[in-house]
Amino acid sequence: MKKILQLALGVITSVGGFLEIGSVTTAAQAGAQFGYQLLWAILLGTLCLIFLIEMSGRLSAVSKHTIVDAMRERFGFPFFFIVLVGMVIIAFMVLVAELGGIGFGLQILTGVAFPWWAIPVSFVVWLLMWKGSFSLIENGASLLGLVTISFIVSAFKLHPDWSGVASGLVPSIPETDKARHGFLAVSILGASISPYLMYFYSSGAIEDKWDRSYIPINRFIAGFGMTFGGVLSMGVLVVAALALQPKGIQVETFPQAALLMTTALPRWGFYLFAASMIVACFGAALEISLAIAYFFAQGFGWNWSEDLEPSKNSRFAFVYTIIILLAAIPLLLGVDPIKVTMMSMALTSATLPLAIVPFLFLMNDPIYLGKYRNGWISNSVVAVIILISFVLALISIPLQIMGG
Amino acid sequence: MNLVRDVLDKKLIDREDCCMGRVSGLVMHVSESAPPSVTHILVGGPTLWMRVHPFLGRLSKRLATIWGPKRNEPVKIPWSRVETVGRDVKLDVKGKDTGALDWEIWVAQHIIERIPGGGSEEEE
Repeated sequence: MKKILQLALGVITSVGGFLEIGSVTTAAQAGAQFGYQLLWAILLGTLCLIFLIEMSGRLSAVSKHTIVDAMRERFGFPFFFIVLVGMVIIAFMVLVAELGGIGFGLQILTGVAFPWWAIPVSFVVWLLMWKGSFSLIENGASLLGLVTISFIVSAFKLHPDWSGVASGLVPSIPETDKARHGFLAVSILGASISPYLMYFYSSGAIEDKWDRSYIPINRFIAGFGMTFGGVLSMGVLVVAALALQPKGIQVETFPQAALLMTTALPRWGFYLFAASMIVACFGAALEISLAIAYFFAQGFGWNWSEDLEPSKNSRFAFVYTIIILLAAIPLLLGVDPIKVTMMSMALTSATLPLAIVPFLFLMNDPIYLGKYRNGWISNSVVAVIILISFVLALISIPLQIMGG
Repeated sequence: MNLVRDVLDKKLIDREDCCMGRVSGLVMHVSESAPPSVTHILVGGPTLWMRVHPFLGRLSKRLATIWGPKRNEPVKIPWSRVETVGRDVKLDVKGKDTGALDWEIWVAQHIIERIPGGGSEEEE
């Protein structure tokens, strides 16, 4: 039973991958502009993540070391330092976007503009990390995250054409707007396959004290959690295709995205959308702040645990305190979170090989994994993901310029 | 034992299972009469940054003398204190006595404990 409750770790990880502001915006843009045509990108992202997350959990359960621990130990400090710089810049941008997303949610509920929310929102996120425990964060965020199921309810209420949905799961090339189509596909993949999800999940497995007996359940958690997020993200796309595309609404700004659910749920749609965004961005903000602090602490060999009193792991607590404080500044200055998230997704895609290639080596290391190291199926999948990641890395920046 | 593969960058764990940082460098004793042997483990910023670039090493050394716990010498742990070398390096020392945790304690005392709810670093 206790092991089944670990599903919460899978759900919160997947909320950070599929339901944060970046994923919702790109899925809504994709649906509003191209109908069901880009569903395949979400499906591909989900499949990749299921494998990557399963491996991250397996590494922690078997070796009691996280990905970051193993990366520093196996590849040395100079390499670790390069990944650290890349990861922190991108994760910081995503954190700014998520805090902005919570602010946007509150803005559409109250009418008070999002820069005013920057400080209160950052403070609440920080306070939860300062006083809360890991299980409070994972269980709380994933329980509240269930409100996002309203995206699926909305999709069903609009009676989609299922054969159209099914054909969207197969990649196709549109006749017009090829650059925009490509850009959105890359953004969807960049928003879902984010390395910080892997770092967070593998640290979560250590926080929850996993051992080898968790290997089977880890498979289920990774599969269930990522599918949950992927299906919800597809729900957003389908709703956008049905509610926004016929009216010719393109999602350029956040208030336009807020119209997503109002066609299906006229009375509650507006509020459910705001609540979904607040909850999902809140979960993602916690996840990213923790992932950054974990990255530093594990890489440098400090004490770390979200369950310890801050002074017992002072450098770990210091990192998340500073990072949240800094993330509030661009929002106070009125920087548009949507622009930040679009840029961060392209950068995630551009730097993906840096995170995935060393991971393949680690997952084949007998010192860490013994007989639990990757078999040929997992290795083939990672090889394909690496191939995808190199393609994404090469085309993401040009597409950002042409189609973004 | 392969020093670079098995020791360098590994996590140091003290007698009380406290993480003391990672192995930043190793000191070897070379003489004509005896075969070379590892004498100390080095822990700390200057040694570490030197591995990325000598400039960063010098910068880190200078910063360490003007800010923080102000330590002029790198933390050296005698190899004789090493208990086991596996996925981590276990040491028979108390982390706080070695100086490897100076920064952890400094950040706790100067920043974290001053924020309400931060707790105290010294309580057990």
